[in-house]
Formats: sequence, structure tokens, C-alpha cells
Amino acid sequence: MKDKNDASPFQMNLAVERDADSNPVYAEPVLGNPVSTLMDSGVGNCFPGLEFDLRQLDVRFFPGLVFEFLGVTPAGPDGNQGARLVYADPAGDPIIADHFTPDGPAWVVDLKKQFAGPEGSALGGGTWYLHFVEQDGKRIMMYDYALYQNAAGLTPYEGETVWWIIRLIEPDKPLTIGLTQRAGDGSPTGVPVVLTGQRRRFLNEEGMIDPVYHPGELTSSMCSPWTHDFRDCACHYWASNHPDVVLGEVDDPQNMLANRTDKDDSAQAVTFIDWMRRRHDPLKDVSAQTTLPKARPDRYDPYEINLHWQQLDFVLQGQEVKETPSTAELLSLTQYETVEHMVEDLSKQLAGMELTLAMEYLYAYFSLRTPDEVTAEQERAWPGLREDLRAARQLILSVALSEMTHLRWVNQTLWLVHKAFPDKGLGPYEPCLDATKTLNLPGGKVADAHCTDAYDFVEPNLDDAVKEAEAHKDDPNEVVRPRMLRRATQGVLAEFVEVERPEGHLDTEYVKLVGLLRMSKDPYPEGLFQLAVRIDSDGMQHYQKFRDVKRFLAPYADQEELYLRPISVGDPTDKRVKPAVDAIKTALAALREAYLIEAELGDMPKANDKIKEARTAMHDLNDIALGLAKDNIGVPFFAAFS
Amino acid sequence: MTLDFTQPEARPSALAHVAGDVLLMAETAAIFGLSQDDAQRMRQALLAGDVSAQEELSRLGLDAPSQAVPPKLNVHPVRALALTVSQTCNLACGYCYAAGGSFGGADTRMHWDVAKQAIDQLITGTVPGGGVKIAFMGGEPMVARDLIRRSVAYANERGAARAVQVGYSLTTNGTLIAPEDAEFFAQHRFAVTVSLDGGREVNDRLRPDKAGNGSFDRVARRIAPLLERGDRIQLGARVTVTPLNLDVPQVVDDIGALGFATVGVAPMISSPTGKGSLAGQDFARLLDAMTACGDAWFDAVSAGREHPFANLATVLGELHRGHPRSHGCGAARDYLAIDSDGEYSACHRFVKDPLGAMGNLETGADDGARADFLNARTVERQTPCQSCWARRLCGGGCHQEVLHAGRPACDFVRGWLDYGLRSYKKMMVTRPDWFNDKA
Repeated sequence: MKDKNDASPFQMNLAVERDADSNPVYAEPVLGNPVSTLMDSGVGNCFPGLEFDLRQLDVRFFPGLVFEFLGVTPAGPDGNQGARLVYADPAGDPIIADHFTPDGPAWVVDLKKQFAGPEGSALGGGTWYLHFVEQDGKRIMMYDYALYQNAAGLTPYEGETVWWIIRLIEPDKPLTIGLTQRAGDGSPTGVPVVLTGQRRRFLNEEGMIDPVYHPGELTSSMCSPWTHDFRDCACHYWASNHPDVVLGEVDDPQNMLANRTDKDDSAQAVTFIDWMRRRHDPLKDVSAQTTLPKARPDRYDPYEINLHWQQLDFVLQGQEVKETPSTAELLSLTQYETVEHMVEDLSKQLAGMELTLAMEYLYAYFSLRTPDEVTAEQERAWPGLREDLRAARQLILSVALSEMTHLRWVNQTLWLVHKAFPDKGLGPYEPCLDATKTLNLPGGKVADAHCTDAYDFVEPNLDDAVKEAEAHKDDPNEVVRPRMLRRATQGVLAEFVEVERPEGHLDTEYVKLVGLLRMSKDPYPEGLFQLAVRIDSDGMQHYQKFRDVKRFLAPYADQEELYLRPISVGDPTDKRVKPAVDAIKTALAALREAYLIEAELGDMPKANDKIKEARTAMHDLNDIALGLAKDNIGVPFFAAFS
Repeated sequence: MTLDFTQPEARPSALAHVAGDVLLMAETAAIFGLSQDDAQRMRQALLAGDVSAQEELSRLGLDAPSQAVPPKLNVHPVRALALTVSQTCNLACGYCYAAGGSFGGADTRMHWDVAKQAIDQLITGTVPGGGVKIAFMGGEPMVARDLIRRSVAYANERGAARAVQVGYSLTTNGTLIAPEDAEFFAQHRFAVTVSLDGGREVNDRLRPDKAGNGSFDRVARRIAPLLERGDRIQLGARVTVTPLNLDVPQVVDDIGALGFATVGVAPMISSPTGKGSLAGQDFARLLDAMTACGDAWFDAVSAGREHPFANLATVLGELHRGHPRSHGCGAARDYLAIDSDGEYSACHRFVKDPLGAMGNLETGADDGARADFLNARTVERQTPCQSCWARRLCGGGCHQEVLHAGRPACDFVRGWLDYGLRSYKKMMVTRPDWFNDKA
């Protein structure tokens, strides 16, 4: 027992244990553009010229020289128009300067000599203009040729015309250019300086832009590309990526936990807000709208961004920050130690857990009344009931569907990994379509009454699962319980929230998958990482959805008949119930065949047919289950697995 | 402050350590402030042994977790590579770990193909979006100036193509730096470390050239352009402390006077010639000198001034971060060296040393050898480290020194960390803001 004294020990440095009371956060925030975004989605692909100014490439078309393209001023030609030499800087050009070995291409060696000789020294002083370019025996002079009063006059082309000509020069073949100085009227004077070389290759073999271009140089001639939205140029792209939705800051620094979430407001850590929102207070914490038209009234219009860009926050790891974060550590990733561990966990645990969850959620879904069952009398007393039911049903169903999608993704991950590493002794891929008998829940937060003690809903013949659960009874970190089919009471919903809580058991597993795929040097198939990130990120949505469902059904908790049917699990041998169980079996069998075909890259049309067959069976199940629910019978989902 | 090694307080406990009125938890590296009374009781409890120490800790509401099981280590991609571009040197320092730059073999320089292939392997092994460091080492790396330039150009190009950020550093004796080198280093934001051992007289005795002439004046002249580009070159000096330059405050002042913003010192413990190593009571003298220098640094920083002494700043930063270590450094874990024959080794000090061999270019760095080395060298497996409170701060010391010279300096290390802990408390009181960027 610790003595009471005023000066109890206080920790001074940052060596800390994980804070058990902390809010959930994304292990790896994947915000902003969706993972499906491709390079081709870049604005320049649809609206060439918006990414950077092509003309800026050509100002350095000739190695060692930098030009500018001058147009004709409103006052008329002033003799400066055309391509004016800004400076000659052979030493600063990697083509010339970075070849430390004498074995560079012959034309470069030759060009170096020219720059070191009289040509180079001539260009060192005075103002020079491009006089001609010559390639493949064709020479183009940069002038309009005019005759008047028996005299020939040379009027320089204006900058854009010169640029068109330069655009036509081809790389990788000899190029000769001439430069002259000019008289006041723009006509050439003196002897041209002639240089031979080749046009710069703007991209190297790796597809990278030549390093001679300094950061910002290619956009320097454009109007504020970083702050302006191109919506009014007929597209919604920005010049570069920007976050659509972000997590907000913690208002009161005193309330901030180590993971930058709010101690008292757990919603802060999971509520996405619109990054472009108008910055006046009531809108601050409002969730981002789901569509652009809905979001529009509350966000800055594109034309306003130039006026208000200072108010758009910096975003660090998906969260807005107003000042330099001093102590925030970057979130770190845990990972599976080996591929074998990962395969073992995915096939023995995760796939089955996804299926078990989907079934439990579906049961809860069918336990809710439909909005049209609300009577006029109830409607008068509870005006929001209909809408709340509609929303709750929709949200729970969406999570159940999402778990089914995950089931597929986990299987897909498995078959791709099996295929990618035939030497690891993983054996042939087997579809994982069996529901687990137990579920692991994070300990501590789950009220016992809702899970470990309430085995009333456990199917018969699940003694092993019950035993396993009993064995974990005193484990403070993890609760294990047998799978059960229960109605969507507040207690059950509370448990669903905890099951999906980021940093809970399920989420941690996927974080490990993301970590392995990200950090590994092994050649994992393309797309796997994205799949893992998507599953992992979905967890947060599930958590939010169940939290919302629980919240808006809470007012009816004392009168469950308002929103819940008094269903109980039906007898699988009952002839009304059996078709439901058979539909599940049909769906699973079809999926099994489809996965095996896909894994072998076999007869894809057949695989598609099988997937369709599974989907049809699930639609049938939906109809049957709704009918049974009206008779207060719940589908014994797990009977399909015994 | 003088610390007598025979003083019972210095006796190591495996659980925790009290320095002044701060308590360090050995296993977690957490630091707690105690009241004077609690500190006194804790100190006595630690002296009385683990049982009473445990009792006292739980009275304070603190749990000393048992020693961690040595972790099974995964080998991660290498993040830093030392290119031993030149295995030759124009100086002849008696204590050199590279034995005159050649690591005991013939003078050789790295061939371009070796550097190129090593850079390829480094960058290919890094995930896009990551970063790597390339350290140019020797011998004296500036002997191979052209190779350095070519390597940087190549690494930049390869790095850009894979979206890998490449950073550079160079450790040099400073005698061959030319003005145009400064421009090059600035352009690529090099971290340049110049080896110097003191003022003119001291340095010239320790760091003569092959003809026996001193090198101080030459270095002072040659580094001027580097100092001018201090905006883009991270320039520091590193001192090797031998029995001949134990007056650390003087040494740091003399080198600081040249314009170096940071001067770090390291004791010479393992020298291939046996020449110049510290031994016995040298370490007690060294500790006195280091703490004196630390005090000077502390006074300057408390008063808002700069002071070049880097060691105390490093210790305070590390104590504040409080990350318990399993190894003294990143050798073999994040860092490898490559020599002119294309052989990888655990770090630049293990070049040509079979104890630190880590594969070669042909087959790539040997991840098995890296894992074995790290698993064998982890501090949890070292004796007598398990019984020392400083183990998770020191990480078991320099692998190369330990393998060749054992651990003659543990009392010094503990004395220095004890001083560091006391200074940490003082700093937290006088300049808590100093730690703002140390997380």
C-alpha cells in the first residue's frame, strides 16, 4: 500500500506504456484520396497543361542554356519578342556537369568544348536571342521576312511562335542552333554564335523529369496552382492531392491524450469533418456530408479558396493541426512476423470470425421491426421511430454486408499469397468458409452481463466453445464468448460496438496484416496491400455505425416492443425454417466453388455464375427470413455450419 | 562533481537507480521524480538488495517489470550504408581502428561498380516513400572525391525514381577538403564530421600525417568554406579521447574556437595497435573531465547561450525520449558498411573483420548473419549487463569494442549516465522548453 504523501513519484520522461483508456485511432490513417486512385486520375491527364506548364520544359531545350519566351506587348513589337537567352549555365546542367567520366556521349564532350571555347565566352556578356534552329538539314529562322521600300526587314517571331517551332525539335539527333544580339528594332546584328548538340530529353529512362528543373520551375508561370480549385475549369481536381475529410483537432490541449485524441469526447477521434468547410464555429464538428451537393453550402466555393486559403488547416496523419506538434509520435505499425503466421491467422481465425459476425449481425437485423409496421398511434407518440428504424436497419445490414465482403477479401488474400509463395510450403489454398465457434472481444470494456454470463443464446453442442470461454473468464485483456444469435437490444449493440472498436482484437489483426504487407521485402501480389488497408479502415466505419445505431435506438430501450420483434431462434428441422438454412448452405457451397476457380485463374465466367448463384441464395434468404421474423421466428444461422 | 568508483552508490542494481532525486527504472527507461525522503529510502533499499528494492518500489506505487525475454529479432531493410570509398589515408593516427585507413590490408580504393551495386541494393531494398542514408567513410574518403560525386549523382537519380529520399554524410580528417567541395556538400545537404583531437599542439601529436607533420593548421584552413555553408551543411567535430587529450573542456573549447557548433567526444577503448587506448584510472579522469565539460555546457544553455559539447545534449535527449534499447547502436540492424571488395560488414568499424561479416554484394547482405549477430549481441543476453541498471540506456556498448576489448569502461558509462540523470532533472527545472523538440 502506498503511503499518502504530497510528493508522490511523477514520471518525467516519455517512456510510457500504452494508455488503456485511450480513444481508438486509426492505426494507419488512410484519408484523402481513396486507395483506388491512380496516377492517371491526375488532373494533367484529363486537362493537359493544368499540372504544369509545358513551355517551362522548353526554356531549357538546349543543354546549358535557359531561354524565356517573350510575347508582343500591347504597345506593339518592341524588338524583344522571341526566345531570349536568360543565362548560359553549362556547369549547372547535369547533362554537362554530372558526367565526371570522360566517357560521356560524344556530343556532350563536344558541347563542353564549345562552352569552354569562344562560343561560351561570347554568350557570357550582352543580350542574346535565338536566331535559328537546324535539324535534319532544315533550318528555321526565327523571323518574319518582310519587304518594303526595296529593303528586306526581319521582324522577330513572337515568343509563342518560337515555342511552337522548338516543340518540333526531336531529341536524340543532332541539333544546331544560332544566337545573335539585336539592334533596337529587333533585327539581328553581328555574327551568330553557333552551337551544336542535341535537344534535352525531358524525361530520363526511369520516366523522371530531368533534375535540371528546380522545384517549382515547371509551375512558375501558372496562376496559383496550389491554392486554386479547378472546378470552374470543368473538373473537380486540384493541382495536387488534398484531403476531402479529416479528423478535427482537440480544442483544449489539456484534454489531449498522447494519441492526439480528446479525453472527454470520443467522437472527436472518429468523426470526419469537411476540410473545406467554412470556418465559423457551429459547423466545426459537424460530420462531413456524403455528397458534394449536400456539402456545398457549408464549404468554401472554389473561387473563395484564394481568399481563405490561410484558414485551411495543415493535416498530419489525417488530423488537422494548427501548430507544430511537439510530442506527438508518429503512429507505429505492428505486423505479423512471417507469412506463415499471417496465413495461419487469416485462415484459422479471421475468415471464420468475419462469417460469424456477419451471421450475428444479420440475426440482429431481422430482429428489428420494419418501418411500415409502426402503427399510427405509435407514430404519434414517437414521431422519429419510423426513421430511426429505417436507419438502424440500413446501418446494421451495411455492416453485415461489409463483413461478408471482408470474408471474400480474406479468402482472396489467402489464395493470392498461396500462389505467390509456392515454396513456403503453405499447401494448396482451401476456401475458408466455416464460422468460428467463438469470438474474441476486447476485455474491460464489455459488460459481463451482455456476454460471458449470458449463455442462454448458445446453440446446443457448443460445449467446447463454452469451455474455452470459461477458461478466459478472468483474463482482463480479452473476453472470449461462444457465438450467439441475439436480438438488437442495447446490451447487444453495446457489445457490437466493442467488437468493432479500433484497437480491439479484430482490428489489431488487420493492422498486423497491413504492417506485414507494407514492411515486407517479399514480392507480395499487387493490390493486396490496398485490400488490407481497406478492411482495416472499414473497422472504424463499423464502429461508428453501431455506435450510432445504439444511440438512436436508446430512447426506446424501456419499451423494446417499439423497435424489436419478440423473435427467438427457430428449430432448423422445422419445415418453415429449413429453407432458410438451406439457402445459406447453397450460398456457401457456391462461394466455395467460385473461390477455388478464381484461385486457379480457371474458368472465370463459371466463377462469376457461382458468385451470382450465392447472391441469389442470399436474396432468397432475405425474403424467407423476413417472413419468419413476422412470425417471431429467427433464422438459426449457425445450423448451416454444423 | 567527482564520482568515486568505490563509492557504494555506484554499485549497480538490476532494477533501478537513483541519481540525486530522480529514479530510473532499469527495464523501461522511465524516469520518475521523487521527494527527497523517497529518494533517500529508495537509495538505501537498492543498496540492501533486490527484495527490499522491490518492496520500496511497490510502496511508491511503481512496478519494476521483470527483465524482458530477449526478443526474437526480425531483420528489417537496411536504412543506412557506409561506403568505405577509400581504404587509404593521408594521416597516420596511432590509434586508428582502420589501422592507417587500410584495415590491415593493402591500400585500396572502391571501384565504381561496387559503389553502384551497393547503392542499387540499398535503394531497391527500401519501400517507396522511405529514406536512406549513405555515409562516406574511409580511410580518408576525400581521397576518392570523384567516386563520392558520382555516387551521389547516381543515388539521387535512383532514389528519385523509387521515391526514396537519400541523405548523405561524410567522416573526414578535413585535410583534403577543397572550396568547391563545400558547394557540393551544401547542394546535397551533407552531414560532415571532421575528426580532430584538440587544439594545435594536442591534435598534432595525435593526428600526424605520414611524414610526421601536424595536421591542425591544414584542417583549420580547409574547413573554412564548410563553415561558411553552415546553412546547408551539418558540420560537427568528433574527438577521440586518448590518455594524451583527457582535458575534455580544453579540447572542446579549442575545437569550438574553430567555429564548430557541435563537438562530440568518444573514448578510445579498442585500438588495433593497442596504442592510445584508455585504461584503469584514465576512465575516472575522463569522467571528471566530461562532467566538468557538461557543467560548462549546462551553464551556457541555462543562460540561453550555445555550447559545442554534444555528449550531454545527446544523453539528455535520449533520457527524455526514454526508449529502452536492446543494442548500443544500429549496426547490423539498420546500418551496414561495404568495403572495396564488395563485402558487407556490421558497421564501418567491422570492415575486414570476420566477426562482423554480413555477406557480400553478389548474394546481397546476409540477413541470416545480421539476425544471428543481433540476437547474439542483444543486451539481454550479455553478461554482466543483466545485472546493471544502465543496460537499457547503453544497450550493451559498441559491438566492435566489446568483441575486441571487452567492457573496461562500464563504471565510466554508469558514472556518466548518473551525471546525465542528475542533469536531466536540473534541465527540467531550468529549461523545460529545451526538450520541446526532443520527442
